[in-house]
Amino acid sequence: MISILTTLLLAPALQGPALLASSALFEHPSEAPLQAPLQATTRKGSQAAKADGDAPKNSWSVFADKVYTSTGSTLENALVVITDGKISAITPGASANDDSLKATTLTAGLIDASAPIHLGFESVEQSSEVTPSISMEYGVDPFDPRWERLVRSGVTTAFVPPLNRNVVGGLGILLKTAGPETLEGRALEGAEILCGAIGGLPSSGNRPASGTPNTFYNRRPTTRMGVEWEWRKALFDAAQAPAEGAGKDVDILQDVLAGKIAAFIQAYPTQDIRTAVFLKEEMQREGFGEIRLVIDGAAEAWREPDLLVRSGAAVVLPPMPGQGRTVDQAFMAANTAKVLQDAGVPFALSANDARTEPLGIQAGFAMRGGLTREQALRAVTITPAQILGVDSRVGTLEVGKDADIVLWNGEPFEVTTRAIGVLVDGVLVVDPR
Amino acid sequence: MSFTTSFQNTRSGRALLSAASRLSMGATVLGAAALFVAPVHASAQVAKTAIKAGKVITLNGEPIENGIIIIEGGRVTAVGSQEDVQIPWDAEVVDQPGMTAFPGFVESHVSRGIDRENETLDVAPFLNVRDSIDPVNFYFEDALRNGIVVMNVQQGNDTVVAGQGMVVKPYGMTVESMMVKPRAGIKMSAAPKRGKSRATQAQALRGAFEDLKRYLDEMVQRKKDGDDYDRREALYQGRELEGEAAKGKALQSEAWTIEGFERIPRGEVDEKQEPLLHVIEGKMPVFMWCGSAADVHTALRVADTNGFTKHMTLVLDNSCWKAAPKIKAAGVSVILEDNLAHRERDPITGEEIETFVPKVFHDAGVPFALSSSTDSNRSLWFQAAQCVAAGIPREAALAAATSVPASILGLSDRVGALKSGADGHVVLFSGDPLSVTSVVEHVILDGVHVYDRSKDVRVQQLTDGTRPPGTVAEEPEEYEGDGEDDSDNQ
Repeated sequence: MISILTTLLLAPALQGPALLASSALFEHPSEAPLQAPLQATTRKGSQAAKADGDAPKNSWSVFADKVYTSTGSTLENALVVITDGKISAITPGASANDDSLKATTLTAGLIDASAPIHLGFESVEQSSEVTPSISMEYGVDPFDPRWERLVRSGVTTAFVPPLNRNVVGGLGILLKTAGPETLEGRALEGAEILCGAIGGLPSSGNRPASGTPNTFYNRRPTTRMGVEWEWRKALFDAAQAPAEGAGKDVDILQDVLAGKIAAFIQAYPTQDIRTAVFLKEEMQREGFGEIRLVIDGAAEAWREPDLLVRSGAAVVLPPMPGQGRTVDQAFMAANTAKVLQDAGVPFALSANDARTEPLGIQAGFAMRGGLTREQALRAVTITPAQILGVDSRVGTLEVGKDADIVLWNGEPFEVTTRAIGVLVDGVLVVDPR
Repeated sequence: MSFTTSFQNTRSGRALLSAASRLSMGATVLGAAALFVAPVHASAQVAKTAIKAGKVITLNGEPIENGIIIIEGGRVTAVGSQEDVQIPWDAEVVDQPGMTAFPGFVESHVSRGIDRENETLDVAPFLNVRDSIDPVNFYFEDALRNGIVVMNVQQGNDTVVAGQGMVVKPYGMTVESMMVKPRAGIKMSAAPKRGKSRATQAQALRGAFEDLKRYLDEMVQRKKDGDDYDRREALYQGRELEGEAAKGKALQSEAWTIEGFERIPRGEVDEKQEPLLHVIEGKMPVFMWCGSAADVHTALRVADTNGFTKHMTLVLDNSCWKAAPKIKAAGVSVILEDNLAHRERDPITGEEIETFVPKVFHDAGVPFALSSSTDSNRSLWFQAAQCVAAGIPREAALAAATSVPASILGLSDRVGALKSGADGHVVLFSGDPLSVTSVVEHVILDGVHVYDRSKDVRVQQLTDGTRPPGTVAEEPEEYEGDGEDDSDNQ
């Protein structure tokens, strides 16, 4: 017992780079606050406690043997200078300053385009299957330890969609993975994105209201067909509703039809991917508008890449399963990313809340499936930034962009390599020293 | 497939169906591993194989550029550079200048490849995985694909004293042909079996040895009393009483002795008790599962009381890193589970503390072996590579998946390094074994070329989703009995 206690006390000393995420260093003035009240931010009452704390240091210089910029160029012996949280200079062929942070390689902070970091089933609104106006703002906890896990693995921006148990689950939220412990302090102004699902998952657990006593499980849909029908009905109803005064849900669906809000639809097997594409094409045929489609979890995208090219959809791939099978009984071939790359479909990788291997390793698995390092890098940096509409701020190492930088101790995405340091908005959240 | 329909609702019927559909996949599909290459060793003379590779990682000294490995009669006879080593005129030559030869990984402990991990019986030392290993189990095929050349198959963790395990290689049609070491050890658990508390588990584990002691005492007493009950029992069970077994011997144990044990011929000891007697005598290694740091204490106490600490290896849950100093002091080796990062939340601050477990044991100087029990994404190459990322030297990380488990299994001379006299196992990787882009291209086991990736039907499906023509199994009708769609997964 004594030995257990002593080793517990030693635990921080046995860790790798110290994680500073929850220290008081992080207070800096929040960006434009969102209008809605944010419950999660007040949980620890940290705002009041840290109101007059020091602003964290957000100017650094970082030197690395190799800098992968995500713009197609790789710089040797480059010095990256960060001023007030932004990249202010990148000089190849330079040498390190005395106080520079040092790494073997650098990449831009990784972006996970599908990281459902929230309370899981408790975040599924059971009152209706179609809840477009519900926002993940109200379901995300910045104190969730999974944020720290994401940062440690080199992920600096994450898109949080709602869980896939509602047909139209609501609006996702795009956050930095570290920074002020408030949602408004971490939120990124990106594309507005409505999330939902097609396939077997939204109906799983639902039961028809007959025989058994009524519970909230007695709800529709109960089949794949029903899920599709809910989508179509919601979009048809919205298209036929008046432009004004029909309510928030309808407004959002009308914006989806107008292409102002992207539709981020989870579909694993090929039959569901087809359904998503056909839904988009049907709305187009009916003259309701052109949906900007992002297919999430598209494990079987390798089967019909031409269909995806035709649809103009972007794709977010799920984590690579060990024996090929993902959720919803889809089969994900190891070369799925390679097929999409060759077909010219824009795609991002995701680690799905880091329960399996982190995003950097997913990029490694994509390389195992045939991508080059450069292609794999784009799939976890600039491409997700473009899909999420934040490529002007994050996704590459370029002057003027947010200083979200990962310091690696070897070639990125090798299993033998680890993120030894992470900067988010120029603040050192994982310290390589 | 009409002949199968009458069996459709039975377990054996399903096995038959599965076997039938495999057979229809082509003549090469005869067993788990046999689907890749049919070995061509019909001649009676000693088979000789020469493997030339661009690089040979021997794990027995420096890597050799343009190296060669000669295997004769299933054993490595020479390892060296291509300039120094003469190829026998009658050797079959495998020449792969672009590949890296590697001794292959050693799986230190796994409960796969068998039909069921544990019996419901608490104390069942008389069971043997020999009876439950399934040579055509997918696991063996998958292990071969990941460059694992031998594995220690032990029963699961949900037990008190489970049966005996054995070391096998992932190739062969029968358990006998797969066998590397038949009595590799016995599995026990210091962590509560389902339905037990920590106290009842500890009591049951201690009780197993107390029962043995009482049983032996009673045997001696009966002998002294002139009662030949044990002889009659042994004869009734048809046990051999000739030769060594017919002689009585004093109990050779570190911890306790039975006065007068030399009166009892070995063959009279009940086979239900005999495996534990071998543990006491130090003839049978023990693999002890610990589900938490507290269980390590129980495990060491029981081992110390019964004198088998030296022959025990701890199989650890990742939370057991907290017991590293105690393990170091006891001088035992450990086998780590494949989830290498232990996470816990500080109960006061709520902060998550992540500990990379192999680093703790590496720094403490405890010999540790890696294991890979779940899926092929986390196989041994991946585990070792993660260790390198966390700052463990590459040699130590590779050792944890090769020479350390080999030593734990008592097979240091045979596996884990390419050297003269070792078993003729060679794995040819497309590049560095720890690189994410490297794959296993060829496996040679006991000098026999048993795996060729270019002919691996399933790897092709895993890679690009396609199945070569002529290999697609005809879907048997009325197969969907168990509600799981595994027909595409075969």
